[in-house]
Amino acid sequence: MSPVLARVLTGAATAVALGAVAVGFMGGTPTTASAGLGASVAVAAGWVVLRRQPGNPVGPALAWSSACVALVLSNDVLAASAYTRHPLPLAGIAKQWWVGCWPVNLAGVLALLLLFPDGRLGGRLWRALPWTYAAATLGMIVSEWGGRQVDGQIAGVWSGPREVIGTVSMSLVGACLILAVASQVVRYRHGDQRRREQIRWLLLAGAAVVTLLIAGWVLQSLGVVIGFAYAPFLSGIVVLLPAAVGVAVLRHDLFDVDRLLGEGTAWVITLVVSAGIYSLVVATLGYAVAAGTGLGNAAAVFLTALPLLPLQRHVAGWVGRFVDRDRHVAVAEVERFAADVRTGRRQPEEIEEVLRLAQRDPLLRIQVVRPDGSWGLLDGRAVVAPTGIPLEAGGDEIARIRLGWDSARARRRITALAKAAWVPIEVSRLRLVLREALDEVEASSHRLAEAAAAERQRLERELHDGAQQRIVATGMRLRSLQRHLPPGQAAEVDTAVAELEETVAELRRIANGVRPVRLSDGLGAALAAVRDASPVPLSLVVDEPDHLDEATRLTAYLVVSEAVTNALKHAFARRIDVSIAPHGASVAITVVDDGVGGVPAVGLTALRDRIHSVGGTLKVWSPVGGGTRIEALL
Amino acid sequence: MKIIVAEDSVLFREGLVRLLQDAGHTVVAAVGDAEALVAAAEQDADLAVVDVRMPPRGDDDGALAAVQLRATRPELGILLLSQHLELRHCLELIGTPGFGYLLKDRVLRLDEFDEALSRVATGGIALDPEVVQGLVRSHRAPAALAALTPREHDVLALVAEGHSNTTVAAQLVLSERTIEAHMRNIFTKLGLHDDGATHRRVLAVVTYLESAGAD
Repeated sequence: MSPVLARVLTGAATAVALGAVAVGFMGGTPTTASAGLGASVAVAAGWVVLRRQPGNPVGPALAWSSACVALVLSNDVLAASAYTRHPLPLAGIAKQWWVGCWPVNLAGVLALLLLFPDGRLGGRLWRALPWTYAAATLGMIVSEWGGRQVDGQIAGVWSGPREVIGTVSMSLVGACLILAVASQVVRYRHGDQRRREQIRWLLLAGAAVVTLLIAGWVLQSLGVVIGFAYAPFLSGIVVLLPAAVGVAVLRHDLFDVDRLLGEGTAWVITLVVSAGIYSLVVATLGYAVAAGTGLGNAAAVFLTALPLLPLQRHVAGWVGRFVDRDRHVAVAEVERFAADVRTGRRQPEEIEEVLRLAQRDPLLRIQVVRPDGSWGLLDGRAVVAPTGIPLEAGGDEIARIRLGWDSARARRRITALAKAAWVPIEVSRLRLVLREALDEVEASSHRLAEAAAAERQRLERELHDGAQQRIVATGMRLRSLQRHLPPGQAAEVDTAVAELEETVAELRRIANGVRPVRLSDGLGAALAAVRDASPVPLSLVVDEPDHLDEATRLTAYLVVSEAVTNALKHAFARRIDVSIAPHGASVAITVVDDGVGGVPAVGLTALRDRIHSVGGTLKVWSPVGGGTRIEALL
Repeated sequence: MKIIVAEDSVLFREGLVRLLQDAGHTVVAAVGDAEALVAAAEQDADLAVVDVRMPPRGDDDGALAAVQLRATRPELGILLLSQHLELRHCLELIGTPGFGYLLKDRVLRLDEFDEALSRVATGGIALDPEVVQGLVRSHRAPAALAALTPREHDVLALVAEGHSNTTVAAQLVLSERTIEAHMRNIFTKLGLHDDGATHRRVLAVVTYLESAGAD
């Protein structure tokens, strides 16, 4: 629609509203005047919409939704004056369509329903609707031409063709109104997120109007004057509806309309049910016991109040499923996941993926706090500057959820989801922290084992290449000097050199204890010495994997020699079988003896610690009297 | 004898050079690492005395150089010295003629050391008792040696170390003739025929060590 035409139409609606005020005063009917004033709210809302979206026909439609009512009321005043002594101008024509023009009342609302929220008509079918309505209105006017109202009642009944035209037209008017409402339902079902939110505003206003109508009934039943009882309802139509439409078009995400709508509806239903219970209890008690007494009323109030809150909660959930279905489903999805985590069917770390699906945001990220106060992702990567919605536990921030698509609405949604996702997030965080701590402990003990192995190697080298070498060199010097000494002293040197040889042998033994030197020739060579020292038969099968690091090789050697010592000392074994074989990337060590067995499950602490220090595992089978089998994987 | 000395410790190298010179040998080269040893071996020499652990890697570079020299200069005798048993890269040389392996402190027993030098330089062998024990005990008793009596075993073990009949007899407190008789039995049992004593002795030792090594 061109902006000029929109302004002209809205201007016309303004004129009609002001005209109604003027006509109301002229005809002495304050109701009409106030209707005109009330219409100006919708007209003003129409101007606001027009100012922000100049070509949107929703602006004029909004203005006319009230202006049409004002127009008909003005016509009523003019038509009524025709039958007085001082007819107003145009009274002659006004009285002719006095009775038949009532469909005009709803023409503006019809236009609004068809055009809301983006100002476009749907297909050809919808385009035909306004013309059909216009034709039906015309038919109505024709069938009631010259009709007259007396004291609010239609005087005279028509028959023949005019009755047929009237019936057909009235049916058409009804059908058009139903179709117009249906058009909004269709739009809602096919609409995108934004369109739906806009329509929900209309729904909200509609629900509020219905609530006010129910309140009107209640007030009326309590004996309040009719004009006063229905005033909120009427002003709701005149004020709330235009306001809601204006907000929907201009700022659809102003409030959490879904929640307002859901909770509003839930309360309305709860109120209606409560009122029903109240009446039922009053009626029942009236018949049974305390008719008309204060006790009966009190009991009724009590019995009504009792189910009120649980009822409201159930109704809210139930309504939420319909009105705010999307969020309801998403929250339920996350809750189901949390339940699955509790029963061990799913891993808590999947929470990020679950939230992404529920929030429809593939870029959503959960950032968690580590014990040292730094931040990280669930996969362990570090985060320098965490952003997003904070999540707290016991007053401490434990996580933040960063959204890929951030808006006020998205924030409200993720807040609701995070409430359901709290436990899996915290569990994932704690597991991450635990895993990192364990990794660190493992890495650090491996580093220690490596350092110790390197230190042993260094010490062994220093003994061999330093001390031992020096002693031998000194011995050689003595031998050189010996040549120039008399025989008696030369014999002394022999003794000294023999001492030095003993010392070297001693040093060699010590160095061998620090690190078996044959380890450089491989595990097999080093373990052969263990076998040779064994007083009982010891079978040794060694298939050493290539490229074992020093720490692992030394650990393997020490594990075997310690296990063999145990078998000999504590198990009184008569035979020991040792095998070493590659096992994937690791090396498997098996030591089996035929001793007394019965090694406690928690025993072998030193062996266990040694194996764990290089990230290995230990398994022990030791039935009493059945020997012992030790399997280590390094 | 003309000897090449390869030893990285200056103290030890100079001590060794002096001992060798005192014993009347000529040290044609005294070097400190494996590469220099290979270069020095171009010179005319009867024997190379080589430390197992040497630069440039600081590992058993001496043993690797020995294997290399055996291929390029097969007639050069090689005597490896080590602070401890480290046989990884020289197993193939053990038991072959003109090769010896001794722990370093054996140097202090001047006479035995000098004898070992002469044996290796003339195509004999000289193995430290610990080497022989280490190799033999490490493996199952081989079939070829099963026929030997325990005493013959002892004799052959000593011979494998490079001892002469005289020193074997002294060590076992037996007469030299008894040792000779044992040796004849050993040769028969191992199927070695008389075609030059030294050669047959070496073959016996090789059989002994090989069957020990052929696990």
